[in-house]
Order: sequence, then C-alpha cells, then structure tokens
Amino acid sequence: MSETRQINVSKSQVPKLAIIALGIIFAAGLFVVGFDQGHVFSLVYGEQAFTDLYIHELTHDMRHAAGFPCH
Amino acid sequence: MKTSLFIIIVLVSGAFAGLVHGTVNFAIVEPYLEQAIGIENQNLFASGEEEDTPEFWVEYEGYRTWQKSGQILAGVILGVSVGSLFGIVFALSRNALPGNNDIKKSLLLAGIMWFTLYIIPFLKYPANPPTVGEGETVILRSILYLSFIAISGFGAIGFYQLSKRLKNNKKVVALLGYGIFISAVFFAMPENPDKITAPMTLVNEFRLMSALGVTSFWASIGIILGLFWRKVFPQQETTHYS
Ligand SMILES: [Zn+2]
Repeated sequence: MSETRQINVSKSQVPKLAIIALGIIFAAGLFVVGFDQGHVFSLVYGEQAFTDLYIHELTHDMRHAAGFPCH
Repeated sequence: MKTSLFIIIVLVSGAFAGLVHGTVNFAIVEPYLEQAIGIENQNLFASGEEEDTPEFWVEYEGYRTWQKSGQILAGVILGVSVGSLFGIVFALSRNALPGNNDIKKSLLLAGIMWFTLYIIPFLKYPANPPTVGEGETVILRSILYLSFIAISGFGAIGFYQLSKRLKNNKKVVALLGYGIFISAVFFAMPENPDKITAPMTLVNEFRLMSALGVTSFWASIGIILGLFWRKVFPQQETTHYS
C-alpha cells in the first residue's frame, strides 16, 4: 500500500536535476543578454576582446528593448 | 515526469517565445532605436568625440548590422533563459494553479509573472532607448533593476505562501499585503540616477513598443508551454496525486 503511494508521489514530483539545469540556463542566459559588460573592455582592448564585443553587439538592441539598463 | 522531456519542452517553448519577442521587437522597437542612435551620433559629432567622416559611418554600419540582426538571436537566448525560470515555476506551481487545463494554468502563471517581474519593475525603472543612459551608472542601474525584480518576485511568492495559510475568504488579504509591500518598496527604492536627455515623445513611444514586445513574449510562453505540456504530459490533465 505504502509502496504504491510512494510511486505516485515521485511521479508527480518535479525532477530536481531538471530544476538545477534550468536554473543554470536561466542565470547564464540572463547574464549574457542583460548584464554582460564585456563591451567595456572591448573599448579598451579592441580586438583582444572581440568575442565580448561580439556578444554585446548581438544582444545590444534586445537589451534596450527588453528594459535592461544599457548605455 | 521525465526529466529530459520536461527540460526539452521548456527550452523549446522558451526559444519559440523568444523568437516571437525578437521578431516583434525587430518590427516595432527597432525604428525607435534607430532614431535614438541617430540623436546619439549627432551628439557625438557636436561634442567632437567623433567626426562625421565616411570612415565613421562604415564602422557604424558594421556594428549596427550586427546589433539589428542580433535582436532575433538575443531574443531566442533571452527566451530560453526566462522560459527556463517560467518552466521551473510552472512545474512547481501547476497543481496549485486554478483552471481545468494546462493552457489556462500556464497562461495565468505567465500573466502573474509578467505583472510581478516585468510591469511592476517597469513602472519604477522603465526601459530607456540609447542616448539616455550614463555609461558610469550602468552597474548601479543594473543592481537596482535586478533587485527590484527579485524583491517583487520573492514578495509575490511570500504572500502566496501566506495566503495558503489563510482561509478562503481571507485570500484577498494576501493580495492586498503584496500590494502594500510592493508599493512601499516602490517608493523606498532610489530613482534611476540618469537624466533623460532625449525627446520625451521618442522615449515614451519607445517604452510603449518595448512593453508590447515583452508582453508578446509572456503571452507566447504561456500559450506554447501550455500546449506542449498538454501534449507531452496528458496523463496529468485531470489526475491528482495524493
Ligand atoms: Zn545601449
């Protein structure tokens, strides 16, 4: 009896692993689009920070449009 | 619930909703960004920081093309990111959400999150087009904006937990509690330190379009995740596990 109940409960539970994975994706994505300040360095270091600049330029318009603070 | 299936539908829903958001922005917000950046360039020329030379425009067109086309890709990244948060909250709150099907539940949650995580923070710290912000205050502004979003979100969760302990007809107390709490925070938080230097009509129209864009995202994620959920986990439709 108690065994059946346990199966049911675990079935309806949300997998912890999924929560952790999605939590990491949430944080990483939000940082890249909303808060990466790599462009500051790219202004100083030029081509060395090309990747950072690239990310910033790519997310720049969305950053403004989605309401994140930018420049 | 299968872990991999759950993650996949959440990510795919987020990507689709983000695609909608990016496309809507590309159509309605981009013209205002163009206008604002035009003013910014004129200011740069006027102050002598840049010169109105063909070289300037070549370089400018180069990165503007990236910025414009990036809107869609950035929309997908942001959509996957915020969609992940939405997926987590939906999975955890699905049983508690009112409504007899997953689409209604999912749309309702999207509405709540749109209001607490976007509209309320937007009223305090509205979006600004380029040329408005000061470069030096961007970190402070980011901290203020993010803190307000977090306070609003956790506040809503807190008052929801409180409402569960109250009897049915007292649930409105929790709602009222959130209203008072968030109003207090609203007035207590410092203002955006930057002065608005761009024409106010441009800023206001930009804000309206920007809000429409974000709203299109929340509406899309609510519908899309609800549809996927119903398709992938149909056994949960009416079953209530004890
Ligand atoms: Zn900017």
